[in-house]
Amino acid sequence: MDTDNSLGFNFSGESHELDFHLLKLAVDAFVAGIIITDYRQPDHPIVYCNKAFEKISGYQRSEIIGRNCRFLQGDDREQPARYLLKEAIKNGETATVELRNYRKNGDLFWNELYLSPIKDANGNVTNFMGVQNDITKRKNAEQQLQKERDEMERRVIERTRLLKENEEYLSSILQTVRESLLVLGPDLRVLSVNRHFLRTFKVSEAETIGIKLYDLGDDQWNIPQLKELLETILPSNNPVLDFEVSYEFPQIGKKIMLLNAHQIELDGEYKQHILLSFEDITERRESEQRKDDFISIASHELRSPLTTVKGYIQLLERMLPKDNDKVTQAIAKTNDYLNRMNELITNLLDTSRIQNGKIELHKEVFDFDQMVKEAVENVQGSYNSHRIVITGSTKLSYAGDQHRLEQVVINLLTNAIKYSPEASEIAVYLSRVSGFIKVAVTDYGLGIGREDQKKVFERFFRANSIQKKFPGMGIGLYVCDQIIKNHKGTLWVDSEAEKGATFSFTLPIEL
Amino acid sequence: MINKTVLVCDDDQGILEMLVLVLESYGYQAVAESNSPNMFKTIEQVHPGLVIIDLWMPEMTGDEVVKQLRKKPETQDLPVIVISASMDGKQMADNAGATHFISKPFDIFNLIDKVEEYYA
Repeated sequence: MDTDNSLGFNFSGESHELDFHLLKLAVDAFVAGIIITDYRQPDHPIVYCNKAFEKISGYQRSEIIGRNCRFLQGDDREQPARYLLKEAIKNGETATVELRNYRKNGDLFWNELYLSPIKDANGNVTNFMGVQNDITKRKNAEQQLQKERDEMERRVIERTRLLKENEEYLSSILQTVRESLLVLGPDLRVLSVNRHFLRTFKVSEAETIGIKLYDLGDDQWNIPQLKELLETILPSNNPVLDFEVSYEFPQIGKKIMLLNAHQIELDGEYKQHILLSFEDITERRESEQRKDDFISIASHELRSPLTTVKGYIQLLERMLPKDNDKVTQAIAKTNDYLNRMNELITNLLDTSRIQNGKIELHKEVFDFDQMVKEAVENVQGSYNSHRIVITGSTKLSYAGDQHRLEQVVINLLTNAIKYSPEASEIAVYLSRVSGFIKVAVTDYGLGIGREDQKKVFERFFRANSIQKKFPGMGIGLYVCDQIIKNHKGTLWVDSEAEKGATFSFTLPIEL
Repeated sequence: MINKTVLVCDDDQGILEMLVLVLESYGYQAVAESNSPNMFKTIEQVHPGLVIIDLWMPEMTGDEVVKQLRKKPETQDLPVIVISASMDGKQMADNAGATHFISKPFDIFNLIDKVEEYYA
């Protein structure tokens, strides 16, 4: 026989007692707690509870029947859901609320209560049925989620605050530095600018932000060198450092600037943005130039009387009788010191130039062997004490600064003579070694101790052992080293103390 | 008869006098000129066999004088030794078309050797 729930409870088809029993078993097997209260009795006592309700509440059936539901709330009475519940009971309506309830052992549990009225044939409410679900886990999860959301929110606020602080901090640095800074977008429009830029180039922020760099200040930034930097060099050589731009601005005059450019390659909001910094070195260059000019003129002027004195001394040497040793010696000494004075003047000029930066090279193609020959003749002309012997040859036309390289050879030769007072010969050896020109100058004098060999190329270095005997500025070899380095070559020394020294340099042959 | 006249031009009176003395002591006839623009007129008057000239002089620089001399047929082959204390003196002298360059301060024996080459 079929059962049909829609037509009333009919489970077994045998008796109401059996049906009731089955129904009670079913209700007890239910996971939700179920209670029924009697609306007609005072204080609406609970008249029925199922097993699940006992389990959820922790109370025995005997402790539940006869009581009002509120005993589950303990002292936690002020809950908004209670008023919804009261209202529903008063009006005989259904309601679903979430309540904080307490088990017998005092533990809190969240009770999702579905309340519905039971009415008699006349429509009067006789009972209320409550279905209860323990939603503590869900509630806890929700609360946890909310807590995490709140925490996240708090962190976002904190992060934002830090970011803002950071931004302000960085911005205050950018605004304070004494260097002009620009940030450009990928289309070379100015995104931001610092105060120093505005001040230096006499523009306002309004005339700058959003404008394409080349269009700034009536096109006065349309600088060919700058275009080359941003469009040709930067894309393949990021970042670009110390790129020198010299430009005559129509309104503020000539400026020499060192530019650093960095294009952001990191993916993100700032990708392709270009940071551009300008160091205005106009004044520095001018003052360097003034110093350089002064020293050039001073050394030129100092050499004029020196030329005259040297001429007269040599004339005296020629006219005086050769048989007076003391006079000959005195004249030779005077000549030596005149040469030394000339060296000092040369060093003074070179020191000044090198301090200003690189040695400027005037490259031209010249006969290398001839250059060495001329240097040797030059030195031989001033010193009769040593014979300078050239062996070997390069047979090369070399592209370099002839004057500077001649200066190196002369310096190595005069050093060789100076530091081998007891010897009578200096050897110069020329050769080609697998793509390099090699020049070696050997003397048979005092030599250089191992510990001093690296230091001799440092500026103002003077070996202790020679300081008293041979006064000087300690600049000559430093200058030589710089000149050779500027030709992409190498200068070094091989020596043993008391056994003489060989100073050699190699220069790459560019074919 | 060899022309042993050497014309020396320098705005520095000390160097000029010394050079004249040195050259004379070696048997040359030295003529001094301290004012570079006068060089062309002086050359016409004394017909030197050799010119020794400084670079940096007021009114007209030595290399400018050399350039002018090289333009005229009668002086284009005249031997000119440029003397200077400038770092780039040799380059300037070569560019102007000078015959030889000697840096200041020079060795007079070297200078005389060079002078004698032109009279050999």
